[in-house]
Amino acid sequence: MKIFDIAFKDLIRSTRSLFLIGMAFAAPLLLTALIYFAFGSIASGDMSMADIKVGVVNADVLPANSPLDVSLGENIRSMFFDDSVRSWITASDYADEAAAHGAVDAQEIGVAVIIPATFTKDYLAGKTDTSITILQDPTLTIGPTVVRDMVASLLDGVAGGGITIKVVSERMTVNGKTLEPAGIPSLIQRYINWYTDFQRALFHSLENAALVVTSPAPGGELSNDIQAMMGLVMAGQLIFFSFYTGAYAMMSILQESEEGTLERMFTTPTDRTTILAGKFLAVFITVILQGAVLLIAGHYLFKINWGEPGSLALSLLGQMFASVGLAVLLVSFIKTSKQAGPVFGGGLTMLGMLSGLFTANMNIDIFNTMGNFTPQGWVLKAWRLSLAGQPVSELIVPFVVLFAMGIVMFVIGARMFGKRFA
Amino acid sequence: MSKAIEVNNLKKSFGELQAVQGVSFSAEAGEVLSLLGPNGAGKSTTISMLSGLLTPSEGDASIMGHSISREPLLAKAALGVVPQDIALYPDLSARENLDFWGKMYGLRGGALKIRVDEVLEIIGLSDRQKDKVSTFSGGMKRRVNIGAALLHKPKVIIMDEPTVGIDPQSRRHILENVKQLNAQGMTVLYTTHYMEEAAELSNHIAIMDMGKVIAYGTHDELIRMVGEQTRIEVTLNMEAEKVLSSWRSTEGVSKIDSLDGKVTALVDDSNRVLPRLFEAASKHGVRITSVDIQEPNLETVFLHLTGRALRD
Repeated sequence: MKIFDIAFKDLIRSTRSLFLIGMAFAAPLLLTALIYFAFGSIASGDMSMADIKVGVVNADVLPANSPLDVSLGENIRSMFFDDSVRSWITASDYADEAAAHGAVDAQEIGVAVIIPATFTKDYLAGKTDTSITILQDPTLTIGPTVVRDMVASLLDGVAGGGITIKVVSERMTVNGKTLEPAGIPSLIQRYINWYTDFQRALFHSLENAALVVTSPAPGGELSNDIQAMMGLVMAGQLIFFSFYTGAYAMMSILQESEEGTLERMFTTPTDRTTILAGKFLAVFITVILQGAVLLIAGHYLFKINWGEPGSLALSLLGQMFASVGLAVLLVSFIKTSKQAGPVFGGGLTMLGMLSGLFTANMNIDIFNTMGNFTPQGWVLKAWRLSLAGQPVSELIVPFVVLFAMGIVMFVIGARMFGKRFA
Repeated sequence: MSKAIEVNNLKKSFGELQAVQGVSFSAEAGEVLSLLGPNGAGKSTTISMLSGLLTPSEGDASIMGHSISREPLLAKAALGVVPQDIALYPDLSARENLDFWGKMYGLRGGALKIRVDEVLEIIGLSDRQKDKVSTFSGGMKRRVNIGAALLHKPKVIIMDEPTVGIDPQSRRHILENVKQLNAQGMTVLYTTHYMEEAAELSNHIAIMDMGKVIAYGTHDELIRMVGEQTRIEVTLNMEAEKVLSSWRSTEGVSKIDSLDGKVTALVDDSNRVLPRLFEAASKHGVRITSVDIQEPNLETVFLHLTGRALRD
């Protein structure tokens, strides 16, 4: 019974500590909210970007006997008419440059893209001076820049293809061979494959991108990508502050020692195991309460789907065991509450960083590897699985690892406390 | 009367340091026993062992017949401890503090509520019971600090230098509290380095120095140890070292010590010895700026026993 009395007293004190409340609840929610408003509201339609009105003059003609199915001009044109950009680009065809120029002057469109008639022919002939003209409303900045970047990105690829053909042709000539026109399509295809891989390596592909902004879903709901990102961002915050809260709550044993109340408890007819157990129980309850509040808040405030109830429960329990274990271990090495600030601030932040908590939504390999050696890393693994909708069976391994880590750290820390207060 | 506190050859070492070196004393039920001695004498270590904070290296003690080694929880249940420093939760109210400490002594439910009300009445804080302790004055905190040790109506209460660093008014209030508790039948073990407190409160006094009890008895019994000697306190216009060796060999001076610019001496007859001290001082070019002649008291006893003044 006294265990609960001690734990209850500690919980009451915790609720009166503005610092603890701030670090346990306000900080993770505020940090997540910042990211949510920065990205989530774009996707949910709360913050809209004005449509970019683009006029396209595609005079490009596919040459006879071309190895391509469609002209390059048509590729560029179709980029502005694609469904994926329809929410923020409104594209129109214009018959010629004069008509497009007139439309820009009349501010009917913000930018015009003029593709010459010989663009594909020049490209296939290996000419490098082929060009596309962009006209823009001088009063606009963002829209024309976006269009120019889109065209430039595509032209970089096209120019790279041209250079590839030229270089291959020259090398073959040096070696006494000739690049036959029939060989150009396969060469282009190989170049395209390489260019695609190169772009992916630079995180330019959807799979590797840190953030993918997509069009808003109907009814203002978060898109799946944004929802997944917010889930991981919030999980990172939840884990970091859970470990911090555990350590801070455990620090109360040092504060009590400095205030003299711990020693006073030792003078009462209460054995020391009961006293320490009460202190530990308070930390367990604090961490579980914090986790529960943040999970509920994350669900309702940021529309995060934490996964199946069983998976969620295992993740939360694993997090609790690990954070309480680490808290007990850490604080058992600390002599005074003054030492706790740098140890918690530096140590837990470093561990969190190495475990990838602050880049949880990016899935970076090196942090994933280092996370195998830290409790935070395993908690993040558990939450990743839960957020991905994995069943309980998939959570067993991370939970067992976290449970084992937690127990080992707890036992070592508790023994050290036992010795210190013997 | 039965023994409320019985201490037998209690020892405590911290590595090479022997803080308590075989202390023995006892207190009858219903009496006030003071442990008097300078800082570092071993008083706090002794009561830390009695209250269960430290484990004795050797020896044993009992509280109301319960050995602190073999029946620590029973011994603690019979004991209320008032620590030297305030040991309360500043962010909890007076009532919440008393509730918690009551539970630590095993009180529950209605009995706890009634007893907390009674203690709040005793310490005069019923009207401030809902206020956080952090908002209290030093004296009020002291009262709650004492109240927390009274909740379970202990047979024995230990008060560790409860008047250190507080104003005279609060000090007086605490001394009156001790007398009241004792009048209700509580045995009080009171540690102090103020001899006037020990003299005012105690039935028996144990004088401690260097980890040992060097004298034990009633106030009058201890004073009689000094005999007819008088204690004189002399202030000089310079450091006492210049004249101290000369005074030490002066006829009629039995003990002499210098502390904080004052020289304390134990002399047989102040009328005859004082002129000799003046003469010796004059020879060394030292001027005596004040002389205080006192009847024998506990400080005289301490000086008589140790050759040193009772340090603060």
